[in-house]
Amino acid sequence: MAENQPQKAIFTALVSGNKAVGKFFFNLQLQLNSGAAKVFRNALPGQFAQLDLSRLALPAEEQIPDELAERCQRQILLRRPFSFTNIECSDSKVILEILYCVLGPATLRMKTLKPADEINLIGPLGNGFKILNDKKLAILVAGGMGAPPLQHLAKELKKQCPQTETVVFAGAKSISELPYLDIKLKKISKESSYSLGEFAKHNAKALISTDDGSAGFKGFVTEMLKDWLKDKKTDSSKTIIYACGPEAMMSHVAAISSQFNIPCQVSLERMMACGTGLCQSCAVRCMNKQTKETGYKLCCKDGPVFWADEVVW
Amino acid sequence: MNTEQKVDLTVNFSGLKLKNPVFTASGTCGYADELADFMDISLLGAFLTKSITLQKRDGNTVPRIVETDSGMLNAIGLANIGVDRFIAEKVPLIKQYNTPFFVNIAGQTIEEYTSVAQKLAGCSEIAGLELNISCPNVKKGGITFGTDPKLVSEITSAVKKNAGKKILMVKLTPNVTDISTIAAAAIEAGADALSMINTFTAMVIDIETRQPVLANRTGGLSGPAIKPIAVYLTNKVYNEVAKSANVPILAGGGIRNASDAIEFIIAGAAAVSVGTASFVYPDIAIKIIDGIKKYCQRHKIAKISELTGSLK
Repeated sequence: MAENQPQKAIFTALVSGNKAVGKFFFNLQLQLNSGAAKVFRNALPGQFAQLDLSRLALPAEEQIPDELAERCQRQILLRRPFSFTNIECSDSKVILEILYCVLGPATLRMKTLKPADEINLIGPLGNGFKILNDKKLAILVAGGMGAPPLQHLAKELKKQCPQTETVVFAGAKSISELPYLDIKLKKISKESSYSLGEFAKHNAKALISTDDGSAGFKGFVTEMLKDWLKDKKTDSSKTIIYACGPEAMMSHVAAISSQFNIPCQVSLERMMACGTGLCQSCAVRCMNKQTKETGYKLCCKDGPVFWADEVVW
Repeated sequence: MNTEQKVDLTVNFSGLKLKNPVFTASGTCGYADELADFMDISLLGAFLTKSITLQKRDGNTVPRIVETDSGMLNAIGLANIGVDRFIAEKVPLIKQYNTPFFVNIAGQTIEEYTSVAQKLAGCSEIAGLELNISCPNVKKGGITFGTDPKLVSEITSAVKKNAGKKILMVKLTPNVTDISTIAAAAIEAGADALSMINTFTAMVIDIETRQPVLANRTGGLSGPAIKPIAVYLTNKVYNEVAKSANVPILAGGGIRNASDAIEFIIAGAAAVSVGTASFVYPDIAIKIIDGIKKYCQRHKIAKISELTGSLK
């Protein structure tokens, strides 16, 4: 989707931080120097890196949650893909920020990383979100752990298109599963507001939904989006939707974008062994808009960001 | 201090001189251009492409892979662009690399295999073919070609007749009772080299849903988990068939470093293939070549070919 991609390669990064964010999430900071910094400086929101976590030790036994006690016995082999919440550039170095939650044997090992540890990564991989500067409104739909690349996108939107208004629709199962450190509960209302610090710092207002109603709108983020679009009657040609989250959510967002005739980009997720187009495992069924023929594209190379109307949902 | 001892890493692979014994393994290295981002393809002993079929194939629905203990299952379904597009778009790219190219070919009928072989026989850029016989034969009720010595013999001789002067390598499946019988059938029917091993048929079950994780239900197990079995099978085929027939073996299965590669060579391999490890470290094949050289220096081995089948 994007042109002039920086050259991908294998690099060693230095861990500069690995802190808990709320109950379930962690923020890993990786420092890149020289050649790696040069390459990642231009990485786009939605691009990702493949981290080798296989050489890391497990945490001490008492720190392993019961539900992972059996699964974490498995020796891991493959790298794990992560997008970035932020890329912070200075003259000589670049800091990549990765938000993750501990779900299995690899992320459990990731939790043990501490400052000055080294980690091997391949990147930047894939194609990022395409920023179009003729839009007045950018709608970011973040479902649960889909939030990270959209935070990075909000920062780039502010930098590249300061005239574009950005509104975030952030959903999760419940308040504890909203992957943000800075949730301003008092600011949550039916109107978009600066209720999420992570987005507010990029001038982006947010609307929050939870399936159980523990924060914001009670229900799915897609219902909230649909109601809002009906109500606001935005100029569809001057609006764009960017979505990242569970596939079922993105399929609904795609349907809504088509109903309101708003262009939409989605960042998809697939099991992938390599991330570099070698293994062909991360197939995404797409349709050629001209010929109407369907065929597989690769999430790692052709995506992970796709136009919603090219994906066969 | 000693000056660095010279090691002859060249291998005579069925009449073709390779600069070293390291191949990429089919299905883990794309068509070549994908790996070129990470390493100099010309440093490889040889490059082996993914499977090419007569018609293009979309491949299986997802999930196509799942990680297992020190390994992974795949059921990609031979996704590829088809032989005609391969010849038009990918073969011209081969010229820029100074290393022999082998093309893995697959099909569902003997006619399909021979048609693909015929088309590739006309490409001067290609050194040889690797016959993937781990596919079901649709004309024989879906029985896997590579599990029946009679079918192996038929398909090998049919492809050999259509392959011109290309080196014909037959890739054995380990999912058989006696792999040596199959190897012997392939050699008797004209195989110039053997390649081993393909993946082991395996399954991973999601115990919450009681469903297989892969959409295809089963997949092929690869990675370090299979290495000791692959080493054993290589040694078996070398001793029972390949050595006396003077047919080289390209062997692999879970190789991720030079020590792993050396094990296969000692077991009887003339050359080794690096597969799943390339997913994790796409430049690993080059590091393995370097490691093999260092091993030879350490053990005062002047020629890598001396090591083949040197198991005591």
